Amino acid sequence: MNRSATLKSNTFSIDYGQEIEGEITRLMNEIEATPAIAPMYPPRWLAIKLLEADEDIQMRLQVLEGGVHLLDIAQKSADHLQTLFGDDADIFIAERRYGWINGLVREVVQRPIFDRLTISDKIDRVVTHRLLGIPIFMAMMWAVFKMTADVSAPYLDWTDAMVNGPIARWIAAILGWIGFGGTWLESLVVNGIVAGVGNVLVFVPVLMFLYLTLAVLEDSGYMARAAFVMDRLMHKLGLHGKSFLPMLVGFGCTVPAMYATRTLENKKDRILTGLLVPFMSCGARLPVYVLFAGIFFPKNSGAVVFWMYLTGIITAILLGILLKNTLFKGQGSSAFVMELPPYRLPTLRGIWRHTWERTNSFVKKAWTIILATSVVMWVLMAIPAKSGGSFGGMDFNQSVFAWLARGIAPAFQPLGFGTWEASSALVTGFVAKEVVISTMAQVYATEGDEEIAEPTTFFEDVGEVITTFIGATVDTVKSLPLIIGVNLLGDKAEEEPTTLMTAIKTGFESSSGGHGALAALAFMVFVLIYTPCMATVVAERHELGTNWMWLSIIGQSALAWLMAFILFQGGKLLGLG
Amino acid sequence: MKQLSVALAGNPNAGKSSIFNALTGSHQHVGNWPGKTVEKKEGKFQRGEYEIRVVDLPGTYSLTAFSPEEVIARDYIINQKPDVVITVLDAANLERNLYLAVQVLELGVPVMVTLNMTDIADSRGIKIDEEKLGLALRARVVRTIASKGEGIEKLADTIIQTAEETRA
Repeated sequence: MNRSATLKSNTFSIDYGQEIEGEITRLMNEIEATPAIAPMYPPRWLAIKLLEADEDIQMRLQVLEGGVHLLDIAQKSADHLQTLFGDDADIFIAERRYGWINGLVREVVQRPIFDRLTISDKIDRVVTHRLLGIPIFMAMMWAVFKMTADVSAPYLDWTDAMVNGPIARWIAAILGWIGFGGTWLESLVVNGIVAGVGNVLVFVPVLMFLYLTLAVLEDSGYMARAAFVMDRLMHKLGLHGKSFLPMLVGFGCTVPAMYATRTLENKKDRILTGLLVPFMSCGARLPVYVLFAGIFFPKNSGAVVFWMYLTGIITAILLGILLKNTLFKGQGSSAFVMELPPYRLPTLRGIWRHTWERTNSFVKKAWTIILATSVVMWVLMAIPAKSGGSFGGMDFNQSVFAWLARGIAPAFQPLGFGTWEASSALVTGFVAKEVVISTMAQVYATEGDEEIAEPTTFFEDVGEVITTFIGATVDTVKSLPLIIGVNLLGDKAEEEPTTLMTAIKTGFESSSGGHGALAALAFMVFVLIYTPCMATVVAERHELGTNWMWLSIIGQSALAWLMAFILFQGGKLLGLG
Repeated sequence: MKQLSVALAGNPNAGKSSIFNALTGSHQHVGNWPGKTVEKKEGKFQRGEYEIRVVDLPGTYSLTAFSPEEVIARDYIINQKPDVVITVLDAANLERNLYLAVQVLELGVPVMVTLNMTDIADSRGIKIDEEKLGLALRARVVRTIASKGEGIEKLADTIIQTAEETRA
């Protein structure tokens, strides 16, 4: 590379042809003669932008000294070119630019003689097909949910056994060894922190598999096709096509999805999309469905979880149409070009990066927000509501927290889950959906009988950790064919429900008057629809403003109650469950 | 240590982020463009006697005033006057990518060109004469495969060359 002599500064310019160049030169002279403007912009560039009638530049020049005069002259130049070419000057300038580039590409690029359809084009012919596109999209989503629900299950069981087994034992042993055995501190650590954070961490495998599959779809380029396929459908429903992208992101986490609404150019579209994004069921809500579906619908848990996601989507669509025709009436959606990047084989590093970043942010939340709420809850549950009880020394039933939750519980009575346990989980769930289950683990654990752990040595524990992990990996590999419906695991013997599962089942059966499954569905729908988490509220305030944030919180809660009510009472009337 | 500022411009999916990551590694800072809800990524790295600060401009197809991203990108180039603007081009879709590159060049700032994802172009039998391309654009051209880290060293050197030439 010894061309530096010709490369002094950037002397690049396109020859726009005699007529346009004449006007450019004229405007450049005018710009040089306007001291308030000349130093602010590259003169040739500004001249071209003036001819193109660039709105942003026009707006900025208007307030500068000599700007209005300059705009007048530019208008005359543009008019002159229009009479000459019979079209707006910006169209002609763009054409010249494209022409120049086209010529350059002919000069420097050599393509194979048979420039056939690329592989990407061939794949797109199928997956973005007018009729096949949507079924393929649904099949892809189905595979994602099978992957997260079934394939991750062995690891879920393994993590669960680890947290509640060896880890809880080791922590209790360490506390006993330094002299805190049997004190309120042991209770705080084991019943508050380990139970709270631990019961959330056991769902890390589920989320990792969800994020892993989403990362593969994103990195391969399919996600863009999914948005393209849905774009047509969205337009038919009167929504903006680009709204679908933030909604897709919302299946991972609502917070980045809320920030993704900024890709929409029109402000009303942006707000409308921001209002609907929370109905896309995020990763943190999944563990609640998995747990409840596992308890009440063990045979069809995958289908129940899938229907939860679908319910969220349908709710968003219906609400979108409603809002579009009321609050946002008369907002024409602007046309937009959606790019379909070529398919690429995802790199392991890329997938790992995406999966890890998202899982990591979940874990971080588990350690901060969830730890804080777990401790606050433990304290509220340790303070006696009536005189006579001692701190940390009585049944949780008598605690301040139970007393507070009991106050709210009647509001959930018509929904079939008017117990203080369920209402306290929903209260803490407003902070983050990750803590719904940990709250339940804490409040129900008080009523279940303590598991009597067999004494084990440290080395036995370590051995168990390793052998069960290997077992889980083998099971996971075996369960891969489950995605397409082939079961290599053999019929599972009825799994022994955990104490938490039994406690939830008993609680819901009694609060709903024997309609436990219906109440569980209503509870899941409530969790799906009401405000996802505190972080989402913060994101809503950033992106939509304070007023929309409040409307969103109130609207979601009201809608959640209404939908759960209709589901539970309607189901009872129809004699279901 | 001498300071250089560099901005990355390019179409979405041209591999701008990969170039940014390959150059700056873990020295990144993510924030927002002032007063805008558009993400701004900044990072820096050292090469020879230079500390080079890199700003990742929003991915756009053009530099008109149609979207906030486009206005942010061109305002940054005009007002902050980076020492070098790197235009990242997807070698497999050169024609479309050049539309942005040409508009960046028209801003009259020092520009260098990265032909990225040349492996994909190669696999499709697309051959690009980078010598001619550089002459026509009056800019230095570097071939990279950012996802594999190929060509990044050369890119870093070329940034410095371009800056030194235009500063002289």
